[in-house]
Amino acid sequence: MSAIVCSHVDKAYGATTVIRDLNLAIEEHEFVVFLGPSGCGKSTLLRMLAGLENISGGEVSIGGKVVNDLEPGDRGIAMVFQNYALYPHMTIFDNIAFGLKRQKVPAAEIRKRVEAVSRTLGLERYLGRKPTELSGGQQQRVAIARAMIKTPKVFLFDEPLSNLDAKLRNHMRVEIARLHQSLKTTTVYVTHDQLEAMTLADRIVLLKDGVIEQIGSPAEIYRRPGNQFVAGFIGTPNMNFIEATVARNGDGWTLTGAGTVLSLQGGDFHLRHGDRVVLGIRPPDLKTAQAGSANLLQGTADLIEFHGNDALVTFGSGGKEISALVPARECPELRAPVRYSFEEDCIHLFDGETGKSLRRQ
Amino acid sequence: MRRRSSLPVTFLVPTLAILLVLSMVPTLYAIVIALQNRELSAPGYSWVWFSNFADLFTDRRFLNAVWVSVKWEIVTVIATMVVAVGLGVLMFEVASPRLRNFYCLLFIIPVLLPRVSAAFVWKFAYHPLYGIATYPYRLITGGLIFDPLSKPGTALFAVASVDVWQWGLFFAVIVLKLLETLPPQPIEAARLDQAKRWQIHAYVTLPMLKAPLISLMFVKMIESLRSFDLIYVMTRGGPGVATETLDMYAFSQGFIESGKVSYASAMAVLMMIATVITFTMLWKRVQA
Repeated sequence: MSAIVCSHVDKAYGATTVIRDLNLAIEEHEFVVFLGPSGCGKSTLLRMLAGLENISGGEVSIGGKVVNDLEPGDRGIAMVFQNYALYPHMTIFDNIAFGLKRQKVPAAEIRKRVEAVSRTLGLERYLGRKPTELSGGQQQRVAIARAMIKTPKVFLFDEPLSNLDAKLRNHMRVEIARLHQSLKTTTVYVTHDQLEAMTLADRIVLLKDGVIEQIGSPAEIYRRPGNQFVAGFIGTPNMNFIEATVARNGDGWTLTGAGTVLSLQGGDFHLRHGDRVVLGIRPPDLKTAQAGSANLLQGTADLIEFHGNDALVTFGSGGKEISALVPARECPELRAPVRYSFEEDCIHLFDGETGKSLRRQ
Repeated sequence: MRRRSSLPVTFLVPTLAILLVLSMVPTLYAIVIALQNRELSAPGYSWVWFSNFADLFTDRRFLNAVWVSVKWEIVTVIATMVVAVGLGVLMFEVASPRLRNFYCLLFIIPVLLPRVSAAFVWKFAYHPLYGIATYPYRLITGGLIFDPLSKPGTALFAVASVDVWQWGLFFAVIVLKLLETLPPQPIEAARLDQAKRWQIHAYVTLPMLKAPLISLMFVKMIESLRSFDLIYVMTRGGPGVATETLDMYAFSQGFIESGKVSYASAMAVLMMIATVITFTMLWKRVQA
């Protein structure tokens, strides 16, 4: 049985529709990440699951029970907020125990459970302190403890790491991953950070303008993006897009665009003579061309960003900016001519009008 | 360096000097008079030092006034805060934003009314025969007379209700605005923690507003000390001495009944000392 099912869910504020006919099933023990740019409705969707926003249309069920009209506290969920949302006037102990006290759990048991949870998260030393006396990372851990102690059916995380600095974010990300491994609680996690999404998720739900663009495992979404938006959103540095025209050439195909002609077998794609398509290549898939390489993209290196192991070389080809991520030792001089080639199995082709992937299923 | 240090002095010294003159001269003069035996009926006087103060403590009417003042202070402050928090939370919970603005406007009107006007309005409202506030009683009992302002047991509460009507409603607006400034997340977290509506306010929002609410209470405590105009218009301290607060009694001793200004000054000085000590202690306790 699915842990969470959304069927035909809509959300509108007055005349503005934020989420449109959304269907989604989340399995038990699954870690699902809602990913998307700001304003895509991912947080709103999470808050609808939590019961903090009304559902304008459709049905949400958690654990097989329709929860549309249930109070947040009665949905069997726990939520961690972006800005921690701790009760500022209470000690850490009281913050963690608040939910249990409302459920009238005996004091002795509360103490036992708070101690157990705070041991898991390394908070024992801070139980007597107030939230303001803790660092951001510690506060977020308290927020997680407060969610954990209720032993919910579902964990909801609303951009929990956005307020932390980069180093702490990595650390907490690992902690959350570990926590999920040991607790196996169904988790829905909202983020705009694709690294978090890729590393934590069993499945990613990619949203844009309140509509699901693609659902899939991180690898699936990375390797087989369903459309140009997904391809451009996932992956750092961003995928290169080159507009091209398709032409039949014997057994294969040629793509003309960005000042170059590329020839493909094209067996993986639905292609038609004369189609306008968008060719997508990830920067790491561009390799320094050897003598005799086919499918060349060439130009003058006009920007070089050093990343440590790698360097991102940006060059112009037929008036189009293209980036290649090459090993730092192969990095060319600024303004030197560069030539890169790619293998056909690395490329993505999208319909020039709809942006849909042309890959055969 | 010199210019930097002289600028604050230039601005502060004249203002502080004026303040000092305005506040200290009357205070010191009151203390001086309290140590003499001046009366309005006679020009002469002599120094009697502390005998006015000694007399006060055997004056049963003075002791009654102290008790009435304490009662007044407690009743008005508590009732105002209860009304303010109750109404503020109620508006926050049930009223739509547009309706809230309307209520806020409505609730600010009483406090804009001058105290004397408010006192007269309610004096008429409490009129046993024609008052609108006593009308329901007449209706239910078939024309029996109920005169809250002339009964010792109810007079103080009737006058206090006017004070609460003015300040409780105004403070309710402030409490609502304070609630609206709170971040919504802790409230949402509490909802997820299965807190009921009233529990969210009892355990989360109101404790978060502890500091401003205490400040409001202090403002009301100081404001309640200035009840003179209200009581003067509505009951003149009556019936008997049922609503005679310290300032009422001092006024009637000094200017109405006997013209004993030194005796009245002694009361004023005692009141000042008591107020300063009480407020300092309360403030210290709140700060701790």
